[in-house]
Amino acid sequence: MKLILSSSNLMHGGRQSVIRQPLTQKSNVELINSLRSNFLAWQQIESANTNGNGHSNGSRPPASSWTHQGEDALYIPAIDFSQPGLAEERDQYDITVKLFYLPGIPASRRCAHTREAIDLVLKELHVKSIDLLIVSFPGILFDADDDSEEEDNEASNGEPDDFDSTVQTWRVLESLHEQGMIAQLGVAEFGSERLARFLPHTKVKPSVDQINLKDCCVVPKSLILYAKQEQIQLLTHNDCNDILPVGTTRELLGPSEKGAGILASSPDADDGIKGDVEPQWVVKYTAVVKDRGVVENKGYFASADVGTCVKDRS
Amino acid sequence: MGLLALGTALEWPEAKKKADQVRQWGIEQLLANWRRAKGKERDALLWGDEVEYLVVALDDAAKKSRLSLAQAEILKSLARDEALWKSGTSKGNENGEHDGEEPPHFHPEFGRFMLEATPGQPWGIGFKDLLKVESNMKWRREVASAHMAPNEVPITLTTFPRLGTKDDYIQPYYPPSGPALRSQFVPDEIANPHIRFPTLAANIRSRRGRKVELNVPVFHDINTPRPFKDPTVDYDLHNWPEDDDVRNGAAKEDHVYMDAMAFGMGSCCLQITFQAKNMTEGRRLYDQLSPLGPILLALTAATPIYKGFLVDTDVRWNQIGNAVDDRTREELGEAPLKNDRWRIPKSRYASNSTYISQDPRLRKEYFDPDLVVDEDIKKRLMDGGMDDLLATHFAHLFIRDPLVIFSEDLEELDLNKGDHFENLQSTNWQHMRFKPPPPDKDDIGWRVEFRSMEIQITDFENAAFSIFIVLITRAILSFDLNFYIPIQRTTENMETAHARNAIHDRKFWFRKDPFSRRIPRSAQQSTNGSTFSSTTSSAVNTPPPSPPLGPVDSEFDLMTISDIVNGCADGTFPGLIPLVESYLNSVNVDVETRCFLASYLDLIRKRADGTLWTGARWIREFVAKHPSYKQDSVVSEEITYDLVKAVEEMTIKEGKHGSVGWELLRGKKTK
Repeated sequence: MKLILSSSNLMHGGRQSVIRQPLTQKSNVELINSLRSNFLAWQQIESANTNGNGHSNGSRPPASSWTHQGEDALYIPAIDFSQPGLAEERDQYDITVKLFYLPGIPASRRCAHTREAIDLVLKELHVKSIDLLIVSFPGILFDADDDSEEEDNEASNGEPDDFDSTVQTWRVLESLHEQGMIAQLGVAEFGSERLARFLPHTKVKPSVDQINLKDCCVVPKSLILYAKQEQIQLLTHNDCNDILPVGTTRELLGPSEKGAGILASSPDADDGIKGDVEPQWVVKYTAVVKDRGVVENKGYFASADVGTCVKDRS
Repeated sequence: MGLLALGTALEWPEAKKKADQVRQWGIEQLLANWRRAKGKERDALLWGDEVEYLVVALDDAAKKSRLSLAQAEILKSLARDEALWKSGTSKGNENGEHDGEEPPHFHPEFGRFMLEATPGQPWGIGFKDLLKVESNMKWRREVASAHMAPNEVPITLTTFPRLGTKDDYIQPYYPPSGPALRSQFVPDEIANPHIRFPTLAANIRSRRGRKVELNVPVFHDINTPRPFKDPTVDYDLHNWPEDDDVRNGAAKEDHVYMDAMAFGMGSCCLQITFQAKNMTEGRRLYDQLSPLGPILLALTAATPIYKGFLVDTDVRWNQIGNAVDDRTREELGEAPLKNDRWRIPKSRYASNSTYISQDPRLRKEYFDPDLVVDEDIKKRLMDGGMDDLLATHFAHLFIRDPLVIFSEDLEELDLNKGDHFENLQSTNWQHMRFKPPPPDKDDIGWRVEFRSMEIQITDFENAAFSIFIVLITRAILSFDLNFYIPIQRTTENMETAHARNAIHDRKFWFRKDPFSRRIPRSAQQSTNGSTFSSTTSSAVNTPPPSPPLGPVDSEFDLMTISDIVNGCADGTFPGLIPLVESYLNSVNVDVETRCFLASYLDLIRKRADGTLWTGARWIREFVAKHPSYKQDSVVSEEITYDLVKAVEEMTIKEGKHGSVGWELLRGKKTK
């Protein structure tokens, strides 16, 4: 069974994205908190409606009351795509989407995953295209302190993304670009060597390389120079690499107090949907009013497979 | 500073007779303009900073520093250059660093020893623009400097430490006690000679019925006399009737006494003006920035010396308030109300007193129940179609009299102009100002001015604070933040900010939870019955929170500046810096810009947590460590000279590598 998790617009009531922590710490706290608080908000509304007194009586409403079983997936919570997306006309916005391909998921699924993720964002925002799509490949870690590039670090973080599949994935993105669905493409965490190896294989060059802002004042000179030469903008982010691990997903959706009460506490338990859970991808979207710098809409979608039908990874 | 039209300025007895006419015409102009501009939409974020300088002349041989009264000559010379730049015959800068930037603008200020400089064109939110702010400020300083005598420098101290002392602290020298100011400490020549300024000063004094009165508590050092009686006060002057003021007890014991507008309006500030996308957003920013005024005042504290003495306060604000306080004894509550219309609790220069946003989160408990309002004016505005909140705001500003009236302007009411409206608006110096679009310029929108910050010694700091405020406005709009507290608490905070070392020793009222309650969209639809629009600015579309609100008093608490800026350890208030950083994490920022912004945010974070000193602290320590300081609170000519030299060096070296000022800029000697 496929699950589609969504945060809805986390800017309003944005507590979950404001984290008091050292600037240098990368994190998936925003993703997890925003999903959790969206689930909670929906459950509270549901139980308030049932109790009719505006207050929750403490018991969790049945999952079926606040989620939606679609033809293709279980939507957590139910999404109503008929709601308007953006307040103003499309050309007032810069819409940036970052798609995280997760570790351990076969690259062969990325074509479908990309379409699926982009479609959800387009439907949510009621737009036909996005301005910038940044893709994050699993296992690629950029380390600003280490001018010898990123390759060394990969071994310790699971298997690095193999180069051929990166190039194959890029073909998919290029075709979306050709169709006019995406104006600009970007990558994340690429060092200059990787970029240099990658660029000759592209028809549409990445316009952006997004790097972790751990200490943006010490970006390797080689990367700055190379990016400038290739007209690639270096942008900053503070997302962590493994943004939605399996354990986190089960905790988020499981029966515990902090969970959503959808999944069982373990694959074989009877307290929720049985089976293994496997997060597939995460997408973050941001719509910024261009000449005012106001973030109007920001949110996440995530997809996970659950049950005995979890696809074979080979 | 306001409009500089020329004409015949009325002296107070005449001006007073015309006050009602000016107010009425001002209100008609406001209404006409409001009707024209209320539907203005989709203006971009444009913003500008104003930096004010003291012009100081250095006499290295005699080790003396004096204020230079060369404003007019410097401005004339600057204007010549600006004309050359415009005609294209001269380039603004040789090295091309400022290519594509308009040359800066320079403006006169009240003090004849002051200059104000603004960027040649407003800034946008493009992150590249943010990078230009600091270099543009430095450019302004260079340009200003180039038009001064070789021994003159523009410095950004808030006040000149020895203004009003017995020595020749101005150049050229004029003796004190002129007809306009009637000050026993400063001459009339201290003020800009444009008729507006002496008239303003004279009419404030005249309306008030005596000189303005500034008593600042002295800082008691170990050798400071107790009680301290300001030794510079002359009790035997008989030039003007106002010389009686001191014999009637104007100078308070244990206080430094000052008696003229120049002691306040001669202070330098850092002011930021934002253009909002429409009136609704402007009103929202006005309200949300208001509680931040006192916080930023304490954070930027830089004013520990007056008239040659260390004082026990760290900021300039109340001194300016007192320096332009035109209230009569009746209005002040010192005499029974007979001739005047009401008691007025604050000076024309004070923290703001009401909220104006049509925001469902604005609870009635946040208002001051004793707000003084001209009910006739409010009625006229509401009859003219204006809503209660905004009409109340302007009817509050219009309780004041116009101070400078030119008889030529009273011949005919021109509804296409804003001069009479501006007459009152621009002499209400509250810490926030809500500015309607000028009637004659279609390309300018509704604006909000943030006015409480003290000027900082270096352009690095001035850029940091300017940009911090800009980023806060973006975070407010993006996260739909709610900083509302009862407005009297902001008034209280403003007083609190004055205390010596208030930044660390005092606590300020602040709202605990700035976030609105999160309500899923479809739930909003079902509980509200109306289609939800996700517009970020239109507060009227936000449904009221469903559960009943708690008591207002539980919404806010006393917090330290560090809690407010960096967040509370217990997680209640997230902190302004983390809010700004979350905003930055949601937008695409390039590496270079983020690096710059990080250094600015780092400065503010460390000011707040005490790692870095405020300007006030640094100046105090400089004086205390000076070999000629006698622990008697006296800041001598020699100390002042050395301080000015140190400040001049700091503007260039910025505390790098252990150079002067590292304590307030770097925190480490080695950086």
